[in-house]
Amino acid sequence: MNDAVSPTTTAEPSLSTLYRDHRSWLESWLRRRLGNAWDAADLSQDTFLRVLASAQPVAQLQEPRAYLVTVGKRLLVNFHQRRSLEQAYLNALARLPDDCVPSPEQRWLLLETLQALDELLDGLLPVVRRAFLWSQLEGLGYREIAERLKVSERTVKRYMAQAYEHCLLVEL
Amino acid sequence: MSRTAPDVARAAAQWLALLESGTAGERDHAGLQQWRDSHPQHEQAWQKAQLLRQRFAELPSSLAMASLDRPQPGRRAVLKRALGVAALVPAAWLLSRQLPLDVWRADLHTATGERKRVPLADGSALQLNTASAVDVNLAQRRLTLVDGEMALSVPGAAALTVHTRYGQVVASQAEVCVRQLAQACVVSVLKGQVQVHDGAGHSALVRGGQQIRLQASGLGVPVPFDALQLGWRDGVLTAQNQGLGDFLRELDRYRPGVLRWDPSLEALRVTGSFRLDDTDRILSLLATTHGLQVQWRTRYWVTLAPRKTLA
Repeated sequence: MNDAVSPTTTAEPSLSTLYRDHRSWLESWLRRRLGNAWDAADLSQDTFLRVLASAQPVAQLQEPRAYLVTVGKRLLVNFHQRRSLEQAYLNALARLPDDCVPSPEQRWLLLETLQALDELLDGLLPVVRRAFLWSQLEGLGYREIAERLKVSERTVKRYMAQAYEHCLLVEL
Repeated sequence: MSRTAPDVARAAAQWLALLESGTAGERDHAGLQQWRDSHPQHEQAWQKAQLLRQRFAELPSSLAMASLDRPQPGRRAVLKRALGVAALVPAAWLLSRQLPLDVWRADLHTATGERKRVPLADGSALQLNTASAVDVNLAQRRLTLVDGEMALSVPGAAALTVHTRYGQVVASQAEVCVRQLAQACVVSVLKGQVQVHDGAGHSALVRGGQQIRLQASGLGVPVPFDALQLGWRDGVLTAQNQGLGDFLRELDRYRPGVLRWDPSLEALRVTGSFRLDDTDRILSLLATTHGLQVQWRTRYWVTLAPRKTLA
């Protein structure tokens, strides 16, 4: 996108000048993609926080807007992941019989846990993810999973090892 | 012997998978114990793995399954959606957006809460309301309302046809709004007159100030309507002594997530004009004027209740 990389020259770039010069631009860039102002404001703050936390020295940024957009895109993808999870969760809640619906506090805690786990599982192949969820959440044995997926038990074992390794790498 | 985290993670994962497969023998158990004892990092990884399993085990399985195993659009699709329309349309369209020139051909859409105004190359103007999609093909003088709601202003004599699920709307020198509902399509004429055709060969002439329903069973009759209903074109939601329930259902269209309210609020009346670009503020205003409590679970999950029941 051309508008993303229009070069800007700033004397003495620092986080505060970066923020001052590009915040409203970034916010409108995000707003066009999100369709609303409040999420855009949130994500633009997050973007600057990421930049602050990253190892990349602000002073060496050649194309600050291109860099902000790169960080912003990553946050947008995460944002949409969280939203799609939340939507699926709300839909599932709505289908529960009234007496099974957890209390508001529980619902909120549960959503937070689910979001953390969703992020943890992000990046796994869909089939590996599903096999892992069947095993962890539904307690299915490897044989049943193999039957459902029409693969061998050895393959299921390999999937599970992959999933565990992926999660442990994040956690360790 | 110090080992790198990836090595340890891999080894722990292999042990876990072996154990869970049900094929591990006595010797494997001994081997695992030996592995755990051989380095503090190994034992630590093993404990982490147990915690991980516990986190999953504590979840209510059906809710967790429905959420975590939701259909995944795939990373690329997520990225595309995240980046919005701009990432999907050809460069020429990007260029025209920046110039801003006019549109000949495009698949346009808006997110929930978004509104968009698009000038067309023939001098007509198209507006998309929240969560809407319209395909434009000016070469064939044809627009297709895929979803949601659109307003079209055609100043010229050359007609534009709007295709909907239940029929067509032909407009020239006219201004018209078309809204797709679940079972019908509502055509409201603001200026001029338009010809509305159903799928069965019937048609009706609808004049300014009139509205008609188009559905699978055919055409309704033109009836007068209140232009206040179409305030979204100016970014305003207007209510004139409207039931709060109806008002909130309308407001809900503009808000991502879930908006719920206590049934006792349905019958309260609302009058006023509200800016659509800040729907949170509309809720706060209503809370003040009607003595309501707004509960925010998350920004996307809001419940309205009478204040007294929560005290």
